[in-house]
Amino acid sequence: MSDAAPLVALEGVTRTYVQGEQEIHVLKGIGLEIAAGEFVALQGPSGSGKSTLLHILGLLDRPSGGRYRLDGEDVAGLPDDRLSELRNRTLGFLFQSFYLVPYISTLDNVMLPGLYGPTPTRELRRRAGELLVQVGLGDRLDFRPGQLSGGQQQRAALARALVNDPRLLLADEPTGQLDSATSAEILELLDTIHSQGRTLILVTHDPETAARAERRIVLHDGRIATS
Amino acid sequence: MTAASRLLETPRLFMRLLRMALEALWAYKLRSAFVVCGVALGIASLTIIVAAVDGAERKALEIVKFFGPDAAFVLGGDIESRAVGQRTLTLSYADARAIRESLPGAYLVVPMRAKGGVTVRFADKQENLPIAVGATAGYAEVWNWPLAEGRDLSTEDVERGAKVALIGDTPARELFGNSSPVGRTILLDRLPLQVVGRLSYRGLSGGGGSVDDRIILPITTLTQRFNLDRQYFRALRVKFHDSENMAFHVANLRSLLRHLHGLKSSEKDDFSILTADEILQFLSMFKGGLLVFLGVTALVAVVVGGFVLANLFYLSVSERRTEIGLKKALGASRRAILLQVLIEAVLLTLLGALLGMVLGMAMGQLLERLEILEIVFSWKVFFLSLAAAVAIGVLFGLKPARQAAALDPIEALKGG
Repeated sequence: MSDAAPLVALEGVTRTYVQGEQEIHVLKGIGLEIAAGEFVALQGPSGSGKSTLLHILGLLDRPSGGRYRLDGEDVAGLPDDRLSELRNRTLGFLFQSFYLVPYISTLDNVMLPGLYGPTPTRELRRRAGELLVQVGLGDRLDFRPGQLSGGQQQRAALARALVNDPRLLLADEPTGQLDSATSAEILELLDTIHSQGRTLILVTHDPETAARAERRIVLHDGRIATS
Repeated sequence: MTAASRLLETPRLFMRLLRMALEALWAYKLRSAFVVCGVALGIASLTIIVAAVDGAERKALEIVKFFGPDAAFVLGGDIESRAVGQRTLTLSYADARAIRESLPGAYLVVPMRAKGGVTVRFADKQENLPIAVGATAGYAEVWNWPLAEGRDLSTEDVERGAKVALIGDTPARELFGNSSPVGRTILLDRLPLQVVGRLSYRGLSGGGGSVDDRIILPITTLTQRFNLDRQYFRALRVKFHDSENMAFHVANLRSLLRHLHGLKSSEKDDFSILTADEILQFLSMFKGGLLVFLGVTALVAVVVGGFVLANLFYLSVSERRTEIGLKKALGASRRAILLQVLIEAVLLTLLGALLGMVLGMAMGQLLERLEILEIVFSWKVFFLSLAAAVAIGVLFGLKPARQAAALDPIEALKGG
């Protein structure tokens, strides 16, 4: 795999759901390349297939047809365990609803992805602490998620997404539940993360948010409209 | 990842999952408590049952030891099929003499008869006893019953109809406290008897109270002073030299008695011979019945505990869909999710087992105090309960755990 190879390469990716006797074609042939270090916004109206595309990119769903190569590796036919490992080591996720585990501390939440990986606990705790300092929650390590504001929760989730040092960060409407001031903070942080050389794919339907990306991909009815 | 590094990571992953499991159980305390209680009840009944069966076995062995492997006990009348009004006084002194003189292998023959409902007095104290036994020389010896002090009944006592007695542990304690009864004179109803020996504590209970609750006097004294029939007695103890040939000895004894009683081959025995073997057979039959009955009860209780666990874990998995979906999205493998749920289940069942054992022993103490069962704690019960708990946890936790491991993270995260 050379440096020129794209981090993400999709060729004719389709996704078809079967509902009873009816086939629903959600993705109708997506071709897409994203190089390492890019910041891409994925836009489109509801039902355009952008969530499905994100799930496929995030290895949570498998394409019905076509080819997906992540960092040069064809992911079709990889066993479940290997997909888990790739999600764990290569990908980071940021969700609209944060999804922090409510009954453990913020620090433990940030450490969570690392617990399924090979990093020794001490090292993991050190990194999680550092990341929490970076996102401005250095004084909230022992707080439960319920004791944090929405913006703070998303910042903690961002620290969690980065704890295994992933090459690609996938964010699904990360500011969808936040007010504009808090959204701006999160977007600032995403900019910073991108400027540190990480690849970002951001799903949003907010044009202002999308404007921050270097490149915009608009999905319409299961196909790419603009790239 | 190489196989070697995967192998190294497994214990660490296990420890991490263990910690996550503990945090989750603590977070959902009420549900955890329900599972623990459900399992505890099952394990409590299991504890009681195993302890009770052990207790019964211990008791059986005690009875057999008391009875002696080298002895036979002959009762007048056919105890297995006693017709109404059939004579039970069929054993005569002539029989006893004939056995003593001509039965090969027998070295001690002690005929006995009893008088029920007597009172013993000493000074200002009095004690009601269920039984006073009349016997011949060597009573303590023939019952393998060591004397705590004093001497056994002698041939001379019996020949003279001497007013002497052996005293059981209970009346000795009641009438004399810690001082020695030997040499003192007690009143049996109105008959004064000099205590010559005290029987040691036996601690066995049988028909009509403890065996320690008795007094023994020469059979001649008993029949003369209480005006009982002098020709027959109720029971006979025979001791043999070698316990190896008991079947042979018993067959000899039976044919001798049939001959002495002039029974035709078509007639049934008018006596019954008991040996340790027969008692053991009877007890193991009883124990088998107890085991089946209690075993079924325990199984039901344990299975109910298991269903409580399974149901609450289904609930737990569906309630924690988001958390499980998130963990899968973050890279937890199916195995890791499955393992965490199983660890949670086994932790709760182990806790339930410990609580159940405490509960079982407490209930056992109660039953023991009420003299219903004799309960003995044993490591066997301990490890059996732990093993049962792990089995319940794995068996009933497996389906919910599989369900959790199979959760589709996309579906699971939609709900949140």
